[in-house]
Amino acid sequence: MKVLAPISSYDELEMLAASGAEEFYCGVVPREWLDRYTGAVWLNRRSPKGGSLETFSELKRLVEGSHRLGIPVFLTLNAPYYTAEQMSWVMELARALDGEAGIDALIVTDINLLMQLSKAKLNAALHVSSVAATLNTEAIRFLLQFGPSRIILPRSLTIPEIERIVNATRDEVEIEVFMLNDGCAFEEGFCATTHHHTVGAFCTSLSEMDTEFERSGGRELTRRQNSRLRRNLTDYREWIWYVNGNGCGATANGLPYGPCGLCAIHDFQRIGVASLKIVGREASPFKKLASVRMVRAIVDQVRSGPDKLVVIERAKSLRGDRKHCDSGYMCYYKVEA
Amino acid sequence: MDWSIHVSNAAEVRSGLSALEPASFDSGSKLAPVVQLTQRLIYELFGPIAFSRCAYGNEFCEHLIPSPDQLEAVVTAARDREIGLTLLTPYVTDAGIDLLRPLFEVLSANGESEVVFNDWGVLNLLRREFSGLKPVQGRLMNKSLRDPRVTGVYAASDAPAPALVSLRRSNLDCASYTGFLSGLGVESVEVDNLPQGVDLSFAENGVKASAYVPFGFISTSRICMAAGIHYDKRDKFQPGAPCHHECQTHLLEYAYTNTPFENRDQKFYLKGNSYFYVHTEAMLRGLFEQARAGLIDRIVFQPQLPMTWERA
Repeated sequence: MKVLAPISSYDELEMLAASGAEEFYCGVVPREWLDRYTGAVWLNRRSPKGGSLETFSELKRLVEGSHRLGIPVFLTLNAPYYTAEQMSWVMELARALDGEAGIDALIVTDINLLMQLSKAKLNAALHVSSVAATLNTEAIRFLLQFGPSRIILPRSLTIPEIERIVNATRDEVEIEVFMLNDGCAFEEGFCATTHHHTVGAFCTSLSEMDTEFERSGGRELTRRQNSRLRRNLTDYREWIWYVNGNGCGATANGLPYGPCGLCAIHDFQRIGVASLKIVGREASPFKKLASVRMVRAIVDQVRSGPDKLVVIERAKSLRGDRKHCDSGYMCYYKVEA
Repeated sequence: MDWSIHVSNAAEVRSGLSALEPASFDSGSKLAPVVQLTQRLIYELFGPIAFSRCAYGNEFCEHLIPSPDQLEAVVTAARDREIGLTLLTPYVTDAGIDLLRPLFEVLSANGESEVVFNDWGVLNLLRREFSGLKPVQGRLMNKSLRDPRVTGVYAASDAPAPALVSLRRSNLDCASYTGFLSGLGVESVEVDNLPQGVDLSFAENGVKASAYVPFGFISTSRICMAAGIHYDKRDKFQPGAPCHHECQTHLLEYAYTNTPFENRDQKFYLKGNSYFYVHTEAMLRGLFEQARAGLIDRIVFQPQLPMTWERA
């Protein structure tokens, strides 16, 4: 079970590796893409500014440095789809990423791109992005025809659902799961909205809108019914606040808040999950560093073999403020202790 | 061009699909205006139409998958009415796959039917075990951006052309993809009418396009706000949590009051775990023009938000 960390610059490499990262993923958005499609159309699932490297030479330096440390680098080409015009360009980029930059794996959502890459027989492995919304074993069986070595499961699967999938596909493909930082209120692969900075994420934007309930079936809502629905909406908005990294907050010690699966690491080790993903290519170097340290600390503890409850207690103590853990809204996974 | 109507139960099929009478469906006061507008425009542009097919099932939630008995009743009613049947299926977990298999057995035993898949796993199951059923790619598999918050910006005359072209298309733009679908026996794809305009030129390559009116899907989740009502606060909003179908009791309307643009009158609708936008008159007219131009093979009329569920 590996610790997979986001990286967006060569300067972050040494500190993240020293802190326990065992795999890296990143994005690159060459200038030509931005010039042609502007910020409205993203090459991968992060805004062109801030979350991705901007030049091929910068990427190449990062990959070479990482390989010197024995750490593989995966690269996201995980836009939900590419048009015919974009596909030619993306395939050319993929060949360069594979041949010149030496990327170890490409992370892909669009099944058309997955198919093309599979036919191209690159050296780089293929990982299916969480944006592909692979929620069941049958879907993995379908995708296996394209030879992916890893499937990244969406955040919305429960531990028993993940276990069923891993048990059914154990010998055929690696499974990666989300571990830390950004949540997603929706099923990422079925959310047709943009996070463009002019409007922000749809889920958080909704929390600031005026709302009105309507009862179905032609009758008016009673005051009591309306009040109950309002209370539930208030709770939901609080949950969204947690999904959004506790309002993008941090502990008194500067550690990152936000959705977390640390308590589930013991289960993931038992189940046979291959990799734990830390989210946040666009995050500050400090947030990446703190995130990697937290995940690695728990992974090391699990590897040394203590009881599950001991691991959970340690995980909660690392998160800093116990009330957030106790809210139940900061967890990716509900863990049966 | 075919007309299909999304029904909630067998009784609606048996009633003869009286269809375009404004009072025929309980759309609710917030959504009735767009349903009536759609009915009026259909009549204005196409005259009195007859539905040759009905759609049944749900695209968005595995808790809304009907029972085999309910499906059997709809199959019988559709056969008696001599109209085709399309079963809509949602994205699913392994548990959802287990729920769908008996439905496909019902359909297989009753002759040729269409099944709309919104999950590669569902297509895989169909191809392996139910090859007599006809798979149709659902609209959730079409990844075109449809975020009504930014419609005006994307469709503005000074927007960069390559970006707008891309936003109106999807991977259906690629012959490699439509060829792949064809190889899997998928001859039809469903689409939403996009707020920024939808480019249906892929239909010229032989792929049949089926479009929904008057609701478009924005986003959906395994975490359902409505289902949280009956849980203690700490236990709310868990993925796939069991529910009492609270989505059937109410609708939530959002007004886009915090827009940075000029669309403060924009509304979004949450029903259960999914958000929808409604078509404007301009969007409906644009789509119907494309239909008249032969780019659309079928229009699916949904007189209610497509989240209805029938108690067993």
